[in-house]
Formats: sequence, structure tokens, C-alpha cells
Amino acid sequence: MADQPIIEIRNLSKTYKRAHEPAIKSVSLDICPNEIFGLLGPNGAGKTTTISILCGLFSPSQGDVFIDGLNIHTDLDQIKQIVGVVPQDIALYPTLTARENLTFFGNMYGLSGKELKNRIMEYMGIFGLEKYANRIVSNFSGGMKRRVNLIAGLLHNPKIIFLDEPTVGIDVQSRIVILDYLKEINKQGTTIIYTSHYMEEAEHLCSRVAIMDRGTIISMGEPRELVAQRPEFKNLENIFIHLTGKDLRD
Amino acid sequence: MRKYFFAFRKEWLLLIRDKAGLALLFIMPMALIIISSLMQEYGWSSVTKELSVDILFVDNDKDSLGVQIRKGLLKSESFIVTDSLNHKPLTESVARGAVKKGDYLVAIVIPEGATKALQENVRFMVAKTLSGFGMYKQSMLDNLKLKDSVNIAIYFDPTIKKVFQTALIGAIKAVNYKTESELVFRSFNQEIALQMPFYKPSEVVYQEAIQFKEYFPSFREKDKIPNSVQHNVPAWTIFAMFFIVIPLTQSLIKEREEGSLFRLMTLPVKYMTLLMAKVGVYLIVCVVQTILMLLAGIFLIPLFGLPMLDLGNEYLALSIMTVIVAMASVGFGLMIGTIAKTHQQAAAFGSISIIILAAMGGLFVPLYLMPPIMRHFSEFSPMNWAMTGYYTIFLRGGSILHILPEVFRLFLFFLGTVIITALYRRFKRPMNP
Repeated sequence: MADQPIIEIRNLSKTYKRAHEPAIKSVSLDICPNEIFGLLGPNGAGKTTTISILCGLFSPSQGDVFIDGLNIHTDLDQIKQIVGVVPQDIALYPTLTARENLTFFGNMYGLSGKELKNRIMEYMGIFGLEKYANRIVSNFSGGMKRRVNLIAGLLHNPKIIFLDEPTVGIDVQSRIVILDYLKEINKQGTTIIYTSHYMEEAEHLCSRVAIMDRGTIISMGEPRELVAQRPEFKNLENIFIHLTGKDLRD
Repeated sequence: MRKYFFAFRKEWLLLIRDKAGLALLFIMPMALIIISSLMQEYGWSSVTKELSVDILFVDNDKDSLGVQIRKGLLKSESFIVTDSLNHKPLTESVARGAVKKGDYLVAIVIPEGATKALQENVRFMVAKTLSGFGMYKQSMLDNLKLKDSVNIAIYFDPTIKKVFQTALIGAIKAVNYKTESELVFRSFNQEIALQMPFYKPSEVVYQEAIQFKEYFPSFREKDKIPNSVQHNVPAWTIFAMFFIVIPLTQSLIKEREEGSLFRLMTLPVKYMTLLMAKVGVYLIVCVVQTILMLLAGIFLIPLFGLPMLDLGNEYLALSIMTVIVAMASVGFGLMIGTIAKTHQQAAAFGSISIIILAAMGGLFVPLYLMPPIMRHFSEFSPMNWAMTGYYTIFLRGGSILHILPEVFRLFLFFLGTVIITALYRRFKRPMNP
């Protein structure tokens, strides 16, 4: 935590048009380089809104965000070059092959020619997809799609990567491959900001987590530290339920 | 530019992999052109050249009036005259029954003695006229009497249009007047010869002094007669071009619903570049559509017995018109695809708005058949501007200069749709370019 933060969020608020309540309220946090930072929270907590603002998709109603020293209001183009985004939905073109999808996204990140070709094959190899490079994505299993979805956000070797529930609805094998690779790139210096509903996964993967509910951060720290502070709860999931309640969320 | 190229390539691949979409874009409009041309050839012919209506003809007269009416109907090339059914000569009851059942639209029955009655009436009128010269004794005049009018019965199918009834009655009346005139002339000849032995009647062929010639003024020297093909090919081509709204909006909304837009917006590329790649692909589709439609008009449609499409000689004007109509339709698609929230909204609004604009624009029914208020509304339909432009090129032989007003209007329409799209995007996503 001694490092200069790579992401600084100051007093961030967002209220959608015609919404009665703000989606996030005065959120402030710093994320350091090389962290795996988990944003946890029930549905509607404000995780996706926070990530969307950090990616430049929505403008905040209030507050400032600095990513690697760049202001999100003025330096968005530069920010987009250094961040990778892996959305919760499979953001791929189903009628294109895996290679065609990745070639398109790679080119949009400014990669080209042999370099792009090699990177695509390298990542396809890492995620066990080399045999499927020329197959149409719509014929892939859920896990295969998730892996291609992840590769599309990693191709340009971003400094910071935002992952919105990257392991939702996939088989155990795919989940292990994805999480192992995230740990691997984190070791190499990539900062990861990650949202999930899987508390156990977050507890093992993240160096720090922030638990959000109703648009605010209600608890933040290292998972082990959070559990240690409340010995009555055995794990992060119990703390999460204690903090956010058992009420069903929309 | 490289990013544009790869975005264009992606759009192109998405389009060619969508077989159903391709069928909608290329095969359906071609089928529409052929079917509509075949259907409307009938209606168009009625206002331009011939009708080809099958008429049941019962000639109980079996004399010159019946023969002349039959000849007259055949000569007009507007009617196919049928005088027997199932190898049996027609009777009035059979003909009436066939019309009643809806098997035929019209049946004409010439009553027995019609010629005789006509001749006697003519003879009476001639004798009355000539009696003024003292040519007839009163006893002779007393023997001649004016007969009651002869009724030629015409049975119409109840669904038949008034315009067709008028046309048919007009055709029969014309034949009748001509026959009567000939009879009057012959009767005069005969009566004078009877009364004046020194008069030597000569055989004179009756000929109408006034005839009609139709002209369709155009910028070309050669007249081009409007027909269903000259109307339908440009009309359905415009319709097909505007129907690009459906696949284009689906493509935009699919990106949004499947989450690709989320990723696209986070890429270091201007969204306008991605949008323009889409525009580029769909513009090419529109132009290819038009080329195929025009080729169908030239090579395919004549195989169905319809006239061949005449493109005129102004190919540059035709190219400009096609590109500008394509721009207008793609702009319209972008606008709807951006504003609509769901596939259902886009499909419903897209297709209904196209049909309304097409109807207003005179694509389904020519403008002159519309009430004045609709003609006024048609001024606001881009499809009307497109149709007017194509008419100017195809039928009036107009050049670039002559289509400039339509080109200008369509360009403004395109510009308007792009501005609305951009403003809507900016309003919805203020941070993204």
C-alpha cells in the first residue's frame, strides 16, 4: 500500500436519469499497482456502475477518477490504451470465429500483423483453445466463450484489467484456468480489478476487497484481515451476508 | 484508417454469415419486383396502353352489329373475347352464371334482331330526312316506324372497378357509333339510289376523320411509355434499400443487447469510426441491391412476359441517385437503430415507418391516383423524392441537372438522420465520442 495508487477514486457518485436513488454515492478508494482488487456486493450494489465509470463508459455525476495519473474526464483516449475490459456478458460476435473476433479487437487496440497473430495463438494456447481458433464462437461451450472473452481483454497486455464476473456460469476446469492465469499476469505486474458473487473465489484471489451495498463501500481491506477482525464469522461469505443482509435483491 | 478497415471487415463478415439476412436483402426484393410487376401490369396497362380482360360474348344477333362489336373489341387489343365454354356456344344464362360465380369479370349479350332494329331505325331517320326533298310518298313513310331501343346486356362482376366499367362501356359505345354511322351512310346511299335512278352509288370506305396519338414528353428524343416495370423496378428497389433499416437496426441492437457495445465503447477507437464502418458496408449492400434489381429488370423480368426495364442513357445520374438513396436509407437505419431500445421496437417501428413512407411516396399507388391531401403529404417522404428522381432518369431521360432537387433533399435527409444519431448518442453517453 506504500506505492502511489494506480487508480484513485475521489468522491464518486452516479445517478442515472429518472432514477430516484444514486447508483453509487461518494465512493472513494485507492488501488495500488499490482493489486488484485475485488469489488464485492449483492445485485444493485453499484459494482458494475463503478467499473463502467472506470472504463469510460459512463460519466460520473460527481467526483474524480485518476488512472495511472490520467484524468478520466480529460485523458480518456490514453486511459483506454492501458486498460483491458472483460465484461460480464460474452462480448463477442457469435457468427465470427474466435480468431476473427480476436483479430478485430486486437486491431482496435492498435495491434497488427505478425505480432497480433502470434499473440492470438499464444493466448489460445494458454487457454486451451488452439484447436478452435477457426471455429464459429456460437458453437463454443460456455466455458470456451468465457475464455475467448477474457483473451479479448488481455490481447494488448494492458497495465490494468477490469473483470466483471469473469467466471460466472462456467465449469470448474475453465474457472481454474482463468484464475490461474489472472494470478500469473498479476505476478508479472498487471493490476486487476475484479467483481464477483463468488466470495470464496474472491477470498483466495484478491489482495484486497471492498464490499459495496446500496452504492457505498461498507467494508474494505485484505480478506484475511477482514475475517480476523470479526472472529465470530468463519469466512468472507459470512461477513458479506452479515453486512449486506439476507434480503433478496433485484 | 486501419481501424476503419478492420471494423469494416468485421461488419462484412457478420453480414455474409447471416444467410437469412442476405435472403431478406437480396432475394425478397427481387421476388417483390417480379410479383408486383406481374400483378400491376394489369393496372398500369389500363392507364397506359392495353387491358387484357377476358370477356364472355354472346351474339344472339348473328348479324352485322354483333359481328362489328366483336371485331371492335378484338381490334382494341384490350379484351380477349370468349364465345364458347367447354366447347359449347355460349348462352345468356351460362354467361350470366359464369360472371355470378366469379369465373369471369364481364359478359356481353347482343340481343337477337339488334342489327335489324338498328337498320330500321336508321332507315326511318334517313327517310324522314329525305322526305323533305319530296322523295317519299306519305304511304311509304307511314310504313316506317321508329323501333324501341335495343338493349345490349352487360353483366359485371360486383368486384369490378368503376373505371373498368366505364372503359368497357365506352369501347362498346364507340363500336356502336361507328356501326351506326356506317349504316346511316350506306342507308343514305341506298335510299338516294332508289329515289334517283341517275345516281350511281359508289362503295366508300368509312374512315374516322379524327384519330388520337399518345405522346409522353421527355428530355430524350425517343418517347418512353410508362409501364409496370418502369414503375416497379425503381419502386421496389427504393423499398428494398430502405428495408436495410431492419438488418442494420438489428445489428446495432444486437451489439447492444449481447454486450459487444460495452466492449466497443471501452476500445481506444472512436465510436464514429465503428459506426461509419457499418455505414460503409450497408451502403455497398444498397448499391449491390440496386444493381441486381436493375439487372433483374433488364434480363429476368422479360422472361415473365413483361416489358424490359429501360434505364435511359444517364448512367452518371443513375449512379448518383442510387448512392444518395442508399445514404438516406442507411442514415434512417442508423437513427432508428440508435433510438430504438429493443429488437421488437426497431423491427416494428422500422418496418411500419418504411411502409408508411413508401405508401406516402407513391411506391404502392402512383401519386396521381391519390387524393390531394395525400399528394401533399407525399412531399415529405424521402421515398417520393427517390421515386421522382428515378422517374426523371428512366422515363423523362433527365440528367444530373434534372435530379438535383431530389439529390439535395435526400442528402439533407441523410445529414439530418446522422445528426440526430450523433446527438442522441452524445445525450445518452456524454463521455464517449
